[in-house]
Amino acid sequence: MGEAPAFFHRGPSPLARFAFFGLLSVAAMIADHRFGLLDTARVGISAAMLPIQTAALAPATVAEVVGDRFTDQASLLRENEELRERLLAYAAAAQEAQLLRAENERLLGLAAAPVDQPGTIARIVSTGRNPFARKVLLDKGVTHGLQPGMPVVDVDGVIGQVTGVGALGSEATLITEKGQLVPVMMVRNGLRAVVEGAGAAGRLNLPHIPASADVREGDLFVTSGIDGVYPPGLAVARVTVVDRNVDSMFARISALPASGVSNHRYVRVLTATPTPAAPEPAASARREPARPGRAPGRPTAPRKP
Amino acid sequence: MKPADLTPVSRDALRAPSGALLVVLSFIVALLFNSLPWSGWALALRPDLVLLALLFWSLHAPGRVGQALAFALGLAMDVSDSMLLGQHALGYVAATFGAQVLRVRVLAFGAVEQTLHVLGLATVATATAAMAAGLAGGGFPGWLPLLAPFTTAACWAPLSAVLLSPRLRRRRAAIP
Repeated sequence: MGEAPAFFHRGPSPLARFAFFGLLSVAAMIADHRFGLLDTARVGISAAMLPIQTAALAPATVAEVVGDRFTDQASLLRENEELRERLLAYAAAAQEAQLLRAENERLLGLAAAPVDQPGTIARIVSTGRNPFARKVLLDKGVTHGLQPGMPVVDVDGVIGQVTGVGALGSEATLITEKGQLVPVMMVRNGLRAVVEGAGAAGRLNLPHIPASADVREGDLFVTSGIDGVYPPGLAVARVTVVDRNVDSMFARISALPASGVSNHRYVRVLTATPTPAAPEPAASARREPARPGRAPGRPTAPRKP
Repeated sequence: MKPADLTPVSRDALRAPSGALLVVLSFIVALLFNSLPWSGWALALRPDLVLLALLFWSLHAPGRVGQALAFALGLAMDVSDSMLLGQHALGYVAATFGAQVLRVRVLAFGAVEQTLHVLGLATVATATAAMAAGLAGGGFPGWLPLLAPFTTAACWAPLSAVLLSPRLRRRRAAIP
């Protein structure tokens, strides 16, 4: 058979190739899904794809720039008015927050409050092309100091968490993604709970809360800071439905995200390194050196008037 | 010594048609098209031009394009669609394998029958990827993803016409 003319020589048969590449694909999926081994490969491939993706987004970017040019005066005025109103609202809230923070610091002796986290502003480039996952792509990556695990917030509260980082872009998973968990605390009575993404229609669930617990419609849950990923005090969810069924030990509680999970184009990524909850002295020592550096470099502080 | 050219006359129609440049160019355009910011219904109906280009070239240039490229492009699509790594790759490899097995038969057909074959292969690719995602814990993704193979197949005839035309032109130029 080795004497066959070169014309017939084609290497392994299609079936053999199929077996090889099929197994390779399955192995890649298992490595990615079970063990998360391929993150480096993902970063490399996404870097290679960057020129193509940038080119593909160019028409939209151009349209956006041109559209911005031709925004009419009326809509600008309207937007101005709206922003001014929001500013006033936030100014009032900020004053209240300052009072509360002073009190809090006095009581707990804490060195820093949650809103003082260093962060960087990122733009939502696209909402991701996988219709079955709630993820957004951001325009900041490793080179801007982003790391997996960093919280993503907007002015109203937590949006999600950075889950994949490329060289010049990253991927954030929204809190509404199925199985995405955020440890929270109720503002009214301090009840601790976990918010879980429901996966559909921008809803959240609060599982494992006993039916006897004091939860009402409209209650606000904020991050508790227990996990060491999200800083404490960021708004997460507002309860919409409390269903206490007799045949279940737990109440079925649905909530809506406090932040505009699907409304924004600009978000803030909190770049304080996510670390597991550390004992108190270590935590204050870690925060100390971060303080002087962040004062000049802080991009915006939407909460401060 | 060079082997004798045993190619039968009918094989001429199946001969690898064109230069590497056209192949590379078509894949770049296909990747660009797939990477456009699709969302919602447009995303569900997005024809998969990368898959189409893979099928076209594995039929018309089997020496250049095969399952290795299908695997690589599948990984690229997995990253750009932020899916499980290997999901598209498996689908593309399966469809390319089908195209390689059915190659002679498909090329003997006219446009309508070819479109039907492409519909089948695109469905295989989509179903394989969806099934892999389902087994990985994504759950049943619904029937919506099975719309895309139809739009993909609908693009087959125009794509063939475009990609085969430079070759026709070159041939006519070569005859006199």
